[in-house]
Amino acid sequence: MFVPSVTNPIGDFVRDMVPRITEFLPASFQSDTLNSVVAFLVNALICIIAVCAVNIGSAPILIYMERKVCAHVQCRLGPMRLGWHGTLQTIADVIKMLFKEVYAPSGADKLMFYLAPLIVLIAPFIVCALIPFSRSLVVADVSMGIPLIIAVNGFGVLGILLGGWSSNNKYSLLGALRSGAQMISYEISFAMILLFVVMISGSTNLMSITLGQEGTIFDWWIFKIPVLGFIAFILFFISSTAEMNRAPFDIAEAEQELTGGYHTEYNGTPFAMFYLAEYIALITNSALATTCFLGGFLPPCIGIEFVDNYLNMVPGVIWFFAKVYFMIWCYMMVRWTFVRPRVDQLMDFEWKFLLPVNLVLLTAGAIYMVIV
Amino acid sequence: MFPNLALPDLPFTFPLGGIDIAFYAVAIVMLVTAVFTVVAKNILQSAVFLIFSFVATAILYMLLHAEFIALAQVMTYVGGVVILVVFTILLTTHLGEDAFATKIPRIFAAFALSIGFVFVMVKCILPTPELASGIVNAPANYSSLQNFAVRLLGYDQNGFIIPFEAVSVLLLMTLICAITVARRSKDEVEKEKEVK
Repeated sequence: MFVPSVTNPIGDFVRDMVPRITEFLPASFQSDTLNSVVAFLVNALICIIAVCAVNIGSAPILIYMERKVCAHVQCRLGPMRLGWHGTLQTIADVIKMLFKEVYAPSGADKLMFYLAPLIVLIAPFIVCALIPFSRSLVVADVSMGIPLIIAVNGFGVLGILLGGWSSNNKYSLLGALRSGAQMISYEISFAMILLFVVMISGSTNLMSITLGQEGTIFDWWIFKIPVLGFIAFILFFISSTAEMNRAPFDIAEAEQELTGGYHTEYNGTPFAMFYLAEYIALITNSALATTCFLGGFLPPCIGIEFVDNYLNMVPGVIWFFAKVYFMIWCYMMVRWTFVRPRVDQLMDFEWKFLLPVNLVLLTAGAIYMVIV
Repeated sequence: MFPNLALPDLPFTFPLGGIDIAFYAVAIVMLVTAVFTVVAKNILQSAVFLIFSFVATAILYMLLHAEFIALAQVMTYVGGVVILVVFTILLTTHLGEDAFATKIPRIFAAFALSIGFVFVMVKCILPTPELASGIVNAPANYSSLQNFAVRLLGYDQNGFIIPFEAVSVLLLMTLICAITVARRSKDEVEKEKEVK
């Protein structure tokens, strides 16, 4: 059995507090068994609330950020009216979305139609539970973090395919099939890059991958292995962009060709769930890039003791989210800068360029590990 | 689902044992989805129920501390069924209609087979009552990824290096076959050039 390597101050606090609170209850409610059961349930509840808060809380921030980044790239101002610099605009949009009527088109497979958005949300929520936000802040510190991430990523494709098919709409079906082919292909290079990280760090646990980068900024995997680390980071960036169906690889929902792709027929809450899944995937992929390449929650120490002391004073969560939001900003700039390739170009790029390069990278990494 | 969410500690805390509760909950989900897989009239719906049945099986593996097998189950079957879904969309017409109704002899054969299977299982399990009361107890780190890899690639008596290599040669063969089938011959390429 895997023994968690993390200290758990929050869990210990709950386990400590529950007996103190039950003291005030009648004597028949007081037993060690009941206390430990209650503490377990409270801890589980805290974990669930934490994951939901990180995911659902950051979605409006990301949507606002996306609008602003997009606007400034295109020399516009973006939302400006509601609240200071349009900060309340996304919240208003979310409320509008939630109050819309939910209906399925006639001839749609109702069960699959409403199941698809739920399936899409599985993968990002599970991946979010695995990510270490700080030294003792991780929901599930499992020994096989990376295989689990690769395994649950399949649900994303499934949800999109089901959504597209059950809508009973040609555009939806075309979009779903395109995105199915695309995500299945790019999943391979996505998994290969994660394998590269596993190989160089010697562990599949995300916490020990992060702690393996302890030291200065040059101990992060992106810099620690000369050239190879940086190439791996770029390849991860490309394949995760395609994996998330974001522009420039958004042929699945290309508005100009497919009127929105697999979620053409969705409206109201189910559409909001697709949207949410997209943005949570943005967070989790950025967090994954941060954990695997940019040192996770570790501060960017530069080897000068005076500066490092100040950097170490900042809590790890803040470093983590600073890096994550930097990555998200990179994804957004890429989205609004590059043009969309054709379907066949996209497939050629994966199978004829990215995959061979990944294989070469894995081999080169293995040779490096053996020699150094 | 996550092994370190204190589930293993629960047998000492829950009256019935946490693993037991988890087992029965997962087993019910598994059976219900399995039944729906067979009953559903639509190929896609039954494929989706099949996936949930497989995921429940994976959770059962996790309860038995066989985490790698659980993840391999999710990885191969979710991915595999997704491919199946793609191909059913691509290859079948009249997908939304009640496409496949089986004939009676086949149903009869299926009943006979499943009753036979249940009979064999009961026959095998009944003589060993200690299965019910026995504690699942694997040595520490028995199924960790490290041990798994060491045994898979080991060439001593416990190792599986030769089957592993044989399987990888098989996979390589499949890959090469796929490329050979998919690639265009030189004549076709020249013909296309002439057309252009």
